[in-house]
Amino acid sequence: MDGNLEISLDKLPIKRLESIEENGVERYPSDSSYDEKRVSLIRRIDFAWALEDDEERERKKRQKKSSKDASATWQWQSMVENLQLAHQELSVIIDLINTVDANDAVTVAGMTRPKPLPNEVLSDLAVSAATKLQCYRQLGKYFKQSAKALEEQIAREARFYGALIRLQQNWKVKRQRLAAAASSSEGFIIDLFDNSLYDSAAMCRPSSLSTIRVDHDSAGMLAINLPPNSCRSLHFGFLGVHSADIPKELGKIRTRGSVEQCTREREKESMSDDEYIKETHTLLREVHQSIFDDQVFEMLNREAFNQSIGVNVTGIRENYLQLSIGQGNTLFISLVPSGKGDDQDAANTQDSESAIVPLDSFDNVKLEGKHGTSKRKWGFPNRTSCEIYLQQIVHEHAFVKAKDKPNLSGTRVSGQSGKDGPGLLGHFCLSLAHRIFSNRVLVELENVCRVPYLHLMTHPTWHSQTSSWTIFLKVPQSILHAESQSLKSDFQNMKDAVKSQFRTKVVVNDDRINVEGDGAPNVVSLFKRSSENISSVNKYECDLADLPVIILLQAASQVICWLHEEALMVGIKTNRDFLCLTFELEQGDTVSLVAHVNPEDIKGGIAWWLVMEDGSPDDWKLQMDMYDGASEYRKFLGHLTLDVLYSTLMDLVSLCGGGRNH
Amino acid sequence: MNKGTGAGTGPTAAAAAAAAQKQKTMMQRVETDIANIVDNFTQLVNVARVNDPPVRNSQESFMMEMRAARMVQAADSLLKLVSELKQTAIFSGFASLNDHVERRTTEFNQQAERTDQMLARIGEEAAASLKELESHYYSSAQRTPDTA
Repeated sequence: MDGNLEISLDKLPIKRLESIEENGVERYPSDSSYDEKRVSLIRRIDFAWALEDDEERERKKRQKKSSKDASATWQWQSMVENLQLAHQELSVIIDLINTVDANDAVTVAGMTRPKPLPNEVLSDLAVSAATKLQCYRQLGKYFKQSAKALEEQIAREARFYGALIRLQQNWKVKRQRLAAAASSSEGFIIDLFDNSLYDSAAMCRPSSLSTIRVDHDSAGMLAINLPPNSCRSLHFGFLGVHSADIPKELGKIRTRGSVEQCTREREKESMSDDEYIKETHTLLREVHQSIFDDQVFEMLNREAFNQSIGVNVTGIRENYLQLSIGQGNTLFISLVPSGKGDDQDAANTQDSESAIVPLDSFDNVKLEGKHGTSKRKWGFPNRTSCEIYLQQIVHEHAFVKAKDKPNLSGTRVSGQSGKDGPGLLGHFCLSLAHRIFSNRVLVELENVCRVPYLHLMTHPTWHSQTSSWTIFLKVPQSILHAESQSLKSDFQNMKDAVKSQFRTKVVVNDDRINVEGDGAPNVVSLFKRSSENISSVNKYECDLADLPVIILLQAASQVICWLHEEALMVGIKTNRDFLCLTFELEQGDTVSLVAHVNPEDIKGGIAWWLVMEDGSPDDWKLQMDMYDGASEYRKFLGHLTLDVLYSTLMDLVSLCGGGRNH
Repeated sequence: MNKGTGAGTGPTAAAAAAAAQKQKTMMQRVETDIANIVDNFTQLVNVARVNDPPVRNSQESFMMEMRAARMVQAADSLLKLVSELKQTAIFSGFASLNDHVERRTTEFNQQAERTDQMLARIGEEAAASLKELESHYYSSAQRTPDTA
C-alpha cells in the first residue's frame, strides 16, 4: 500500500424518494435484506490498487530482464518477490475473511480453488514426483548404510565366533548368563580351573586368574586382557648361590609373552587371525602355567608345615619359602611375577650365565681357583632342572592321585600318602640333598682315580636318592694270561680271568656311603695268616672325609693281593699283610713292598716303598733312625704303574730265588 | 537344531521338550521377521505412485521412512537370531566337542608316552655314552691333570 489514502463517501442511510406516481403515491426503494447489504459492501472493496501493483511489477520485471546482463541478480530473486506478493494477497484475503466472519451478517459461503492451468498441474506433478524420487533415494542410501553396517557386524561376529570356536577346542569356554543381552558376545569366559588336580580335602582356592573374560577389541576380534604382572612363575634357587630377587631367565617364553602384552594391540593389525589365535593360545597357556605354579607353591607351603621327613623350614615370607636340606645347604622357592621390565634383562642375562655355567659340581671345583667362585656353589645341581623336577613330581602326584596312573620308574614318587614317609616336598628336599652329596662324592672319587690304574665307572641308578659307582683296578691282562695258560687248569684259568680286575663299589643312599670291595683280605683270613678267601668282599660305611683314604686303601690292598697271586703263581711264597707284601730272604732277612696311600698326593694317591729288614730285631730301631729316601733299608720307589710293580715283583722273586740257590 | 538330537545318550523328556519349544520359537521369530521385511517392502513399492495432493506425498514419505526402519530392525533381529544360533552351536555341539577332546587327549597321551620313551632312550644313550667316555678317558695314557 502506498501513502495515498483514498476515501470513498457513502450516501446517508435515509430513504430517498425514488418516484411519485400520478396519483400522488410515493414510491420508495424497497429495503434490501441484510444479505444484500453485506454483498453490496463487499462489492465496494476495490482491488484496483492490487491490479495496478501487478502491472507495475510486470513492467519492472521486463526492465530487469532487459538489464539482466548489466547487473548480477540473484537467481531466486523473482521467486522471492512472487512469494512475497502471494503472501501479501493471502494476508489481505485472510483479513477480509476474518472481517467478514467477525460480522455475523455475512459469512463466507465457500471457497473454490481456481482451476489450475495445465502448466501448473504439470509443475505440481513434477515437484511431487521429484519429492518422491528424493524420498526413495534417501531410503536407498539408508538401506545401503544399514546393509554396510550389518555386513560389518556379520564380519566382526564371524571373526569373533570363529576365533572362539577355535579356542574352545583347547580351552573351556563358558557363557555368562548374567550378560546384558542374550546375544551379547561379551558374555563369554574361559575357565582355566582344573578341579581334577585337587584333592577334596585339600580345599585349594581357585586362583584369581582361573576365569578369564573374553572381550572385544576395537576391530571386533576377541581379546583377552590381563592385568600386568598377574602371571607368576615358580622361582627356585640355592641360598647364597642364586639370588632370590631376580626373576626368570630370558630364555623363558612366559616372560616375553607377558611383557609384550601391551604391544600386542598395536601389532594386531599386522597379524593374521591365525597368528593372533596362536598368540592367544600362548597367552592362555602362560596363564595356565601360572595357575599351576600357584598350585605347586600352595601345595609346598602346606607340606612344609606338616612335619615331614627331610623338610626344615628356615624362613617364610609372602610368596617365599626357605628350607634347609642339611649339610649347610639351604634352598628357596618363591613365586615371582613373570612380566618384569627390560631393565632387568641385563641382570637376568648375568644371572642366567652365572647360574647355568656352573652346571654341575665338578666344574665348579675345577674353576674355583681360577674364577674365585664361592665354594658354596660346589655340588649344586642346575636350578632349572630342579624347578622342572619339582613341577614334575607335583604334577605326577596330583594326576596319580586323581587318575591312578601306574608308577613307571623309580624316579616317580612312591608311597606318597604323606603319613609314613616323606611327602612331596620331603622327597624333593631329600633328592636334592642326595644330588649335592653325590656330586661331592663324585669329585672325591675322581680325585682318587688320578691313580693311573684305577678306572671309575658310573652306574646310573635312575633313582633320585641312590647313586652308584664302581672303581676298577685292572691288572695287566697279558701277564696273567701268558703265565697262567701253561700252568693252570681250565678252572683256574677261568678263576684268574675273573680276577683280571678288582672292583670297589661305592653306593650312596641319601647321605650314607657304602663301600664294597673285593680282593682285600678279610679279618678272619688275616688272623689265620692265610691267603684264603681272597675273593671275599668287604662292606663298610664311611663318611665323605674318609672316602678317598678308604678307596685308596682298598685299591692298594687289591694291588698287594694281585702281586701276592702273581708271586704264588711263580712259586714264591710270600706273606701278605694289608698293605705289605713280604718276601723272605736267606738268614731271616725280609724285603717288603709297602704301599703308602695319601689322598692329597697330586701325582697319584698310592706310592710304594721297599723296606728291607734283617732278622735281627735289635738293629731294627737303628735302621729306622737312619730313615732316608735313599737308605739301603728303606727305599722310596715312587708312584709305580702295575707293569713296573710286576717287574719289581719279578726282581724280588729272582732275588728270593737267587738267594735260595746260593 | 543339535540340542534335541545331539545332547548325548538319552536326553530327558524335559530337555527335549525345551529344545523343541526353543526351536519352534526361533522358527516363529524367523517367519515374523521375514514377513515383516516382505510386507514393509511391498508397502514401500506400493506408495511409489505420485498423488495429486502433495500432503499425501509428505504423508507417504514419512510412512516410507518408518517402513524402512522397520525393515532394518527386522534384519537386525534376524542377525541376532543367527548369533544366538552360533552360540548354541558353540555350547551345544557336545558330540563334536567330546570327539575333539578325546582325540586331543589321545594325542597328548601318545605324545607323553613318546616323550617318556624318548627321555628313557636319552637316558640310556647318555649312560652308554658316559660309560664309553669314561672307559676311553681312564684308558688313555694321559688324563687331564688336576690343578689346585
